[in-house]
Amino acid sequence: MGNWLEPKYTQLILHGFMTTLVLSVCAIVSSTALGFLLGLARHARRRAITRAAALYVLTFRNSPLLVQLLFWYFGAATLLPQAWMSWLNTPHPLAVGGLTFAWPSFEFVAGWVGLTCYATTFVGEEFRAGMQGVPRGQQQAAAALGLTPFATFRYVVLPQALRIALPPLAGQYMNIVKNSSLTMAIGLAELSYASRQVDTETFKTFQAFGAATVLYIATIAVLEAALLVVRRGGAYGRHGGAR
Amino acid sequence: MSVLEQLHEWWPTLRYLLLGSFPQGPLGGAALTVAMSIVSALLSALAGLAGGIALAMTRGALHFLLVAVIGLFRAIPVLLLIFWTFFLMPMLLHIDVPGLACVICALALIGGAYLSHSVQAGLAAVGAAQQQAALSLGMTRWQALRYVQLPQGLRIMAPSFVNQWVTLIKDTSLAYIVGVPEFTFLATQVNNRLMVYPVQIFLFVAFVYLVLCSTLQWAVGRLLRKPRRIGSKGAALAARAVVEHRAARHDAGSA
Amino acid sequence: MKFQPFAAAAAIVVALWAVSGAAHADRLDDIKKAGVLRVATFDSNPPFGFVDPKSNQIVGLDVDYARAVAKRLNVKLEIQPTNPANRIAFLTSRKVDLVFANFTITDERKKEVDFSTPYFASGTQFLAKKGVLKSAQQLNALRIGAAKGTTNEQQVRTQFPGATIVAYDDTPFAFAALRAGNVQAITQDGPKLVALLANVPDKTNYEIPPFAISNDYEGVGVPKGETRLLNTVDDTLKGLEANGTAAKIYDQWFGPSSRAPLPRLFRIGDAQKS
Repeated sequence: MGNWLEPKYTQLILHGFMTTLVLSVCAIVSSTALGFLLGLARHARRRAITRAAALYVLTFRNSPLLVQLLFWYFGAATLLPQAWMSWLNTPHPLAVGGLTFAWPSFEFVAGWVGLTCYATTFVGEEFRAGMQGVPRGQQQAAAALGLTPFATFRYVVLPQALRIALPPLAGQYMNIVKNSSLTMAIGLAELSYASRQVDTETFKTFQAFGAATVLYIATIAVLEAALLVVRRGGAYGRHGGAR
Repeated sequence: MSVLEQLHEWWPTLRYLLLGSFPQGPLGGAALTVAMSIVSALLSALAGLAGGIALAMTRGALHFLLVAVIGLFRAIPVLLLIFWTFFLMPMLLHIDVPGLACVICALALIGGAYLSHSVQAGLAAVGAAQQQAALSLGMTRWQALRYVQLPQGLRIMAPSFVNQWVTLIKDTSLAYIVGVPEFTFLATQVNNRLMVYPVQIFLFVAFVYLVLCSTLQWAVGRLLRKPRRIGSKGAALAARAVVEHRAARHDAGSA
Repeated sequence: MKFQPFAAAAAIVVALWAVSGAAHADRLDDIKKAGVLRVATFDSNPPFGFVDPKSNQIVGLDVDYARAVAKRLNVKLEIQPTNPANRIAFLTSRKVDLVFANFTITDERKKEVDFSTPYFASGTQFLAKKGVLKSAQQLNALRIGAAKGTTNEQQVRTQFPGATIVAYDDTPFAFAALRAGNVQAITQDGPKLVALLANVPDKTNYEIPPFAISNDYEGVGVPKGETRLLNTVDDTLKGLEANGTAAKIYDQWFGPSSRAPLPRLFRIGDAQKS
């Protein structure tokens, strides 16, 4: 097993780790937003919306993420018009609020889209479970107090639903981080890709995969710790819910 | 070209995708996916039961170690674990381990880790009162587990098992990365050869997985709907214990 | 009683460990005893290794050579399909006995595997849409698709540090990305690109610029230290050249009547130019 990797390779792995983190954060944000909407849609009044939502969940939950990623990158890319593809593949510097962001590669975009679509189903289910877990009595009491349905939702149901959903939601965020490893199949240079590349060039299998494993586990551990902090002290405290 | 002619033209490819090069070669394609899923599901169920029971029954340092190991398997991406088993297993066991066995092992380990938590949660959901009642009837801890807690707990755990098995069916697609000729691998092979039908091929692949997973969910749903007399053996044991206890007290002469 | 299952498992692992350490016979003997030669070949790289759509079997130039070795050893041939990234992994983790997958000989790789005498020669070339790539200097500004684990990827990275390399699992994936516009050129051995292009439905849109950036030789991958097996492979290859079979195999896949004709410039046993 011997010596450690040269700095050139450690840098490759760290660069891959950064890509994993950025991809995961982007996917977490987008899937939370969309998952919230999906959770609402599952409870909508109109049958058409609930049916569409159920169909979305069925298709994206029961097929493998790897196949979905391959579809988005190799399949859907051929469906987009040529002009769009050229635009997506030319770097346009994004200047937002004084910061310049590097233009994401198409691999990143496809990975993000694929991860988001997949994770949205699970996040949506957690939101739905959270909302279902709030007792009906709460809504009725709020109505008795004269709150509008929207105010009931925003001040009574939602905080409690979020508190119920938080641990499984954190679990889904951890899944997003782990699932980001599949984007190596579409050429995104994230952590698993980088560790495989280092292994191919240096043959130091244990060092390369060991470094990647440690980094993934550290990220998951940080998420777990964050969950603990939020549950113990943070935003929800011990009182939560309606005042 | 008529539908029949088109089917005739596509039949060899379809057969290849569903069965691999069987019987001239090893089993592959969707058939291998199903076989892998079944074997991994059984192994992970066993591992999960063992792990869950161990988590429920142990205390102290051993419990902590168990939690750490199980936590490790839940924190590592499946892909990385497949790489590890691929490289490590032949080295550890000093025998030639085919790629298929490595993938099944990795899937069983991860499935077992997740199921351990479900089993532990299910056992806890049954309630301490059940265990205490069983113990007070004269059963040992293991008998209480086997005849009272597990049968009731399994019903509660069943959805988690189904969810984990559905995830397992999807995770078999990762065997593609290490060259196991399962369905996704063969589909990408065909896509590489044909080059101009990626949308159709990947949609077809997703559809087949959809069918597989949905069938599993539906089948287990139907199985669970029938009322099952799970408690019968436990009830018989409990009844016998009560009778023998009363007889023993009677013989000894109650005070 | 709680620890019985754990103790049993531990005992089994220890027993396996003890028993296995003893048996470390020669790989050639193992192959002859098992009656099977396990070989890793490509499954998506015509004409070296690809799936024949009619029989759904893996065929190709590499497969023919592998079959010759198996015949000489009087054993059955078992093919493990692979992409470039998994070749060495299969060999070093003992899942295959030989690698017949257009395996380029490099000094780095020689540290992990042994190579037979070269049986093919090629250079790293590029494939791009017509009119895009005219000279090697342009490469520094382009996005280039490659296959993971190939020498082409490493060579482009070393010689053209300004280029953005996107590595996929195998060459057809890179080509799909080229077609979709995600990369502007792909890199592979010249003969592979020629054969790939011959199979593409819209081949008139693409071209292979005539320059190459390296001179490579491909050989059979043999597990490190297995000298008897290596010698058998070398003898087989040299024998094939001597009795003309090598030329016949080449003709079948690259000859004038094949889909991707290429003149045969390298014969087994020729001197290598560095």
